[in-house]
Amino acid sequence: MQADDLIRSALHRGQRALSEYESKKLLELYGIPVAREELSHSVDEAVSATDGLGFPVVLKACSAELMHKSERGCIELNLRSKRDVHEAYERIIRSVDLELEGVLVQEMVPGQRELVVGLNRNPQFGPCVMLGIGGILTEVFQDTVFRIAPFDMVEAKDMTEQLRFKEILGSFRGQKPADMDILCRTLIAVGRIGLELETVSELDINPMIITPEGRLVAVDALVVLKRDGNDNID
Amino acid sequence: MITSIEASPLYPIANPKSIALFGASNNASSMGTSLLDSVLDLGFEGEIYPIHPKEDQVQNHKAYRSALDLPKVPDLALIVLPTRLVPETIDACGRKGIKHAIVISGGFKEVGGNGVKLEKDLIAAAKKHDMRFLGPNCIGVANPRRKLNTTFMTLEGGPGFIGMASQSGSFVTQMFTYLSQYAMGFSTAFSVGNEANIDIVDCMEYLGACPDTKVIALYIEGIRRGRAFVEMARSIVPKKPIVAFYIGGSEAGSRAGLSHTGALAGPDKLYDGIFRQSGIIRARSIMEMFDYCWILGALPRSTGRRVLIQTHSGGPGAEAADACGRAGLELPSLSPEAIKRVRPLMPQTGSISNPLDFTFGKNLTDYFSEIPKALLEEKNTDYLLFYFFTPSRRLKRMLRQVGVPPDQIPEQAARLVDFQSDTILRLIETHDKPFVGFTFQSLTDPLLRKLVERGVPIFPGPQRAARAIEAAYRYTRLRDKILASVSQE
Repeated sequence: MQADDLIRSALHRGQRALSEYESKKLLELYGIPVAREELSHSVDEAVSATDGLGFPVVLKACSAELMHKSERGCIELNLRSKRDVHEAYERIIRSVDLELEGVLVQEMVPGQRELVVGLNRNPQFGPCVMLGIGGILTEVFQDTVFRIAPFDMVEAKDMTEQLRFKEILGSFRGQKPADMDILCRTLIAVGRIGLELETVSELDINPMIITPEGRLVAVDALVVLKRDGNDNID
Repeated sequence: MITSIEASPLYPIANPKSIALFGASNNASSMGTSLLDSVLDLGFEGEIYPIHPKEDQVQNHKAYRSALDLPKVPDLALIVLPTRLVPETIDACGRKGIKHAIVISGGFKEVGGNGVKLEKDLIAAAKKHDMRFLGPNCIGVANPRRKLNTTFMTLEGGPGFIGMASQSGSFVTQMFTYLSQYAMGFSTAFSVGNEANIDIVDCMEYLGACPDTKVIALYIEGIRRGRAFVEMARSIVPKKPIVAFYIGGSEAGSRAGLSHTGALAGPDKLYDGIFRQSGIIRARSIMEMFDYCWILGALPRSTGRRVLIQTHSGGPGAEAADACGRAGLELPSLSPEAIKRVRPLMPQTGSISNPLDFTFGKNLTDYFSEIPKALLEEKNTDYLLFYFFTPSRRLKRMLRQVGVPPDQIPEQAARLVDFQSDTILRLIETHDKPFVGFTFQSLTDPLLRKLVERGVPIFPGPQRAARAIEAAYRYTRLRDKILASVSQE
């Protein structure tokens, strides 16, 4: 199976986590909508990626070692031309002193509403799926709800109704309500990842953006791996 | 999921016909002696065999040297011995053919060190003989209908409809008197202790099948068989409600949890989700848990959350309306039919809206009869929330004012109380609409006491009433959610 292969080769390379690019590949295999993106290995590749993606785009340094990107100058947002992309690519290469898997060129997904979807494991309950208000204010709102996997659409819907700020999922300042069917399927799929892939110890989709049209798109993701032996995954 | 309690390993533990008791002696201060006394005090009707290595008689009962000397195989072994003796005692019980035990003794896993090893020995000894046991480090079981009380505390109050499984023994024993204030009681209550063999999930299964249990109460510090817990709860909730109080969420709470039974406490938010997924109603305190049990066990089930408030005083009515709003309940308007029925009964000063405020009534009897009758028949509401203020001295003063001779006042007052309570009880019992009372008086007031003893929930203050009504509404939502999942499969 492809998901197994993806993880096995990452473990083989000694990674503690999947890179952002690999993480989203895994999500895609489980039917979770992710941002369109290409992994580039040179300025030229990055620039020509925009031919398919259009503008604006985002550039992100991509490495399994980079679990928290926002504070390290490795993201360049809202790039509107090939020249912007060219310059941003070079800034990223200069500011990051890690060996990179490449630089991600990603569609810039519009929308102010951000969710977080996650997976963790509990010794008594097994894989637990989390849904919350995401983005940079995740810790401020601390509005998160949990379910243990597996669960069905009825339970997934109930999970969304348990959010304190559930109004974010409805019509909002002229923006359409979130696609609840896709959101519920995403929650169930994350639970399936927990049940089917024992080597995934934790997973974060943050943010999952709700676009003004109500589409849901996983914009950033992190899959933490459990390695064999007595390695401490915390 | 079992269909009969007799299929549960807890059946012989909660319904034994004969008990071998290890640890009772003629030393009045020992815990085992106190326990034997407690069993006898409730009038246990089965046979009791004290086991003692030296004595021939223990508290006027013939004693036996060991389990192997017993004249027959008892249903249950009740063990209150020093920790180190427990594994070998279980082994002796097993050799005799005893299949069920309660191990009251502590000093096992919860203290660490050698206790961990002793608990393993205990588990192994039971396994060797296919024995099932409750505990260790618990206080056992109370089943008032069977006159069984294996706790060392006196069982006060009668049997009731609350089936309890608790990770604290105190919330079994120390709730006997608390519940009897509200004329509530346990159908069966289990203290699960370290859950080395039988755990809280087994207790839920028993209580789910127990015909005397209308509502299940859980005190939880940590759940070990997480997934089994969720599945068990979801199989019970379509038939009867489960209410839980969970400690371990806050930092302070989780420290208490760890030191108490060695349970692993999970984060508060995770348990919040797990309870909701399980269809369990979460309470914020022990008292609130029993408030919820009161409504869920005593009242006919209503699926809605519309509440009509009847009061004769502005402040308490307004407070009740505020409490309902905060609890997420709805205050519907009266239907034209109800308004038409109520209007002739109301004084000029009264207010025919919601709350319906009788103020200083024309005829106080109407407050307890015709008005609640109209409101109980009102289709626009799911509950009637009724304010009680029935001070007996005021009643006596009124009788004096209307010229009743002083020597007849006590009797007349008692008769009036009986009349009022009988009137309202008849209404409550002949209507399907749930009736909930609230008051600021003591529930020892004669009128209130009579109603409470007939199963009418009357809460101290409207907040507790409103939150309990909301819990009943939550139950129907949780139940419907689970039923929707089941029908989807």
